[in-house]
Amino acid sequence: MKKLLVLLSVGLVVVLAACAAPATPVPPTPTSPPGVTPAAPTPPEVTTITLWDYYGTATPFQPEMIAAFEEENPDIRVKYESLDWDAMFEKLSVALTTGTPPDVATVDMTWVPTWAALGGFADLGSFSGGEVNGVPFDEAFTAGSLEAMTYEGKIVTVIEDFDVYCLYYRADLFEEKGLEVPTTWDQLVEVGQQLAEDTDSDGVPDKYLYGYWPDPFRWAQFLYENGGEILNPDNTEAIFNRPEGVEATQFFIDMVNKYRIAFDIGEEEAIPPIKDGRIVMYADGPYMMGVMKDGAPEMEGMWGVALHPYSVQRGSYLGGTGLVIPARAANKEAAWRFIEFAMRVDNQIGVYKYSGAAPGLKAALESPEVSVPDPYFGGQVTLPLFLEATETAHHFPYVRQWNEMYDIIEEAVTSALLEEKTVQQALDDAVAEINALLAE
Amino acid sequence: MEISIGRRIGMAIRKYHMAYLFILGPVICTTIFFFIPMISSFAFSLTEWSGIQPPEFVGFANYQKLILHDRRFIKSLINTTIFVILGQGSGPAFGLISALALNQKVKFRAGFRTAYFLPVMTSLVVVATVWKMLYNEAGLVNFLLKRVGLPTTRWLMNPRTALLSIIVTSVWQGFGFETVIFLAALQAIPKELYEAAMIDGANAWNRFWHVTLPSLRPVIVMIYIIGIIGSYQVFDQIYVMTGGGPINSSQSIVGYLYNNFTYMKFGYASAVAYVLFAILALFSYLQIRFFGQEE
Repeated sequence: MKKLLVLLSVGLVVVLAACAAPATPVPPTPTSPPGVTPAAPTPPEVTTITLWDYYGTATPFQPEMIAAFEEENPDIRVKYESLDWDAMFEKLSVALTTGTPPDVATVDMTWVPTWAALGGFADLGSFSGGEVNGVPFDEAFTAGSLEAMTYEGKIVTVIEDFDVYCLYYRADLFEEKGLEVPTTWDQLVEVGQQLAEDTDSDGVPDKYLYGYWPDPFRWAQFLYENGGEILNPDNTEAIFNRPEGVEATQFFIDMVNKYRIAFDIGEEEAIPPIKDGRIVMYADGPYMMGVMKDGAPEMEGMWGVALHPYSVQRGSYLGGTGLVIPARAANKEAAWRFIEFAMRVDNQIGVYKYSGAAPGLKAALESPEVSVPDPYFGGQVTLPLFLEATETAHHFPYVRQWNEMYDIIEEAVTSALLEEKTVQQALDDAVAEINALLAE
Repeated sequence: MEISIGRRIGMAIRKYHMAYLFILGPVICTTIFFFIPMISSFAFSLTEWSGIQPPEFVGFANYQKLILHDRRFIKSLINTTIFVILGQGSGPAFGLISALALNQKVKFRAGFRTAYFLPVMTSLVVVATVWKMLYNEAGLVNFLLKRVGLPTTRWLMNPRTALLSIIVTSVWQGFGFETVIFLAALQAIPKELYEAAMIDGANAWNRFWHVTLPSLRPVIVMIYIIGIIGSYQVFDQIYVMTGGGPINSSQSIVGYLYNNFTYMKFGYASAVAYVLFAILALFSYLQIRFFGQEE
């Protein structure tokens, strides 16, 4: 019986020991026969950095790029982990909370406000000396990107690819119908009405429309274009229920309910309605170029890109993907070396080459490998348009309540679109709720 | 002679030491992964905590805000209660009807039983994704409605139909479980009871009402306890099909809890979890108190 007890106890200890965290890896020590002094110098201590990446297979962090980094930095190994976009948000939330974050992570720029405001990210200025690969930040990035990378005077992220909205339109249809690409909202309505078709004769056009989701990304496009803002300059009060906000929101929903030139894409992804001709215009970021080439390769040559039509001024949300080093990361210096490597022009070109997105680094954007005529878009050189759009783009407000504000705004816009509330009432309610949040 | 508690524990350990040793592993695991997080979660519910900054003690302020001032929580509570009432009102009924039908000598009984149980075995996310496609504007549901001349809608984008559509999916997915349980219980009812009832002149309805239903009572209680607890925790299908929208019309309590997690409001999310826990504890108590006591 005692033997059995001992056996069980040992088993339990083994099981518990197996549950324990693995010990920190120790650099391999060369062994040599006793009495023989090793001739070779001791290899440098190897630091392993963990990279969490949500790009998927279309990542700019291809195995060759990581291998090249490791070759150039023999003291650093990269442990690459691929995560879904959704999974990244959840996993990084938990990791930042529990103090077990990766050394480098890709983050959606819309996540930055909440985490940056809570002190989740390291100040990259302390490693970089204000430069990336010897180029000052303000020369390496556009003013809009640099502003998006900065929270309370600190660089909290480096923009890997930027997202800013332009108008995608069916160039072949425009040409066929002799239409000019709209530059103002009035023209958008005019052109939209000439394009729209009602194929099932139910009185509501269902083909050749402007497609959108009533989310804060698309809504903010119209808000900014009408001179509106989400919050006041010191981020203490919501102001999008002012006349310019109400007008913009009214136009946004009138495109669907009154002018009948647009439709809410709803639960669908964009590609099916793009392919079946329901969508002939929509606002989205440069990443959609890659999505369209993958999802609708047969439409090569049919699409064009232009700056989005506006009312008072140009404007768009500015986001994209940032690289961050969590404040509690174990190997910040090594992580910064990786980020600098990723920010080299050659590697930034990989953002366009592999992900079909717009590189964050200005020099990469202007390189001949990126600014090339794109056959999918009828030989158009598209990225300079997106770069131009960044000049008048705004990042979402950098307040820790942003995620909650996002849901409140989406609810307000949807309420107005579904005519559950008037535009003014929907925006007033949302503003009141957000102001209460900001006051907490 | 009175024996001290310490001595009694010592005697018990000596007597049952093998049994204690065998349960030691599960007890340690349950304590680490269940009880400690539960207690910690309650402690967090009394704080304002972002997960990154240190928690700040706020007493019962989270609960006060949640119950008295948070219209989104109230909306999610109402939605979840509607989900429970309609789902539990119809699911077990369908389960009982199909079990009664399958309890007859029908052909392909095993085939039907498998068909009913198949959705239960299928991942809820898969089921929700398929139904999302069925409810699509150009999906099968609208196609059939158009064919018979009935009006169509965007089922998951209409605040009046979104929750109902999810309930239909959930009932379809889940009633096979109840069918199988009821079928097993029906087959366990002694035939003598039916024979005696028939001798007394009971017709089919009377046999069902006075023999079948009372015999199924323990199973019904069990199904409702499991069903109500499970339904109050509904999340997956809502997350996949509507994300709680449009305009929070299909938001559930767990969905709202999840949202607060994404807002990095861990203290508040913990308070939501404890309110849900209280609701479930109350329902379980009432059911056992009024329906399950004698079982």
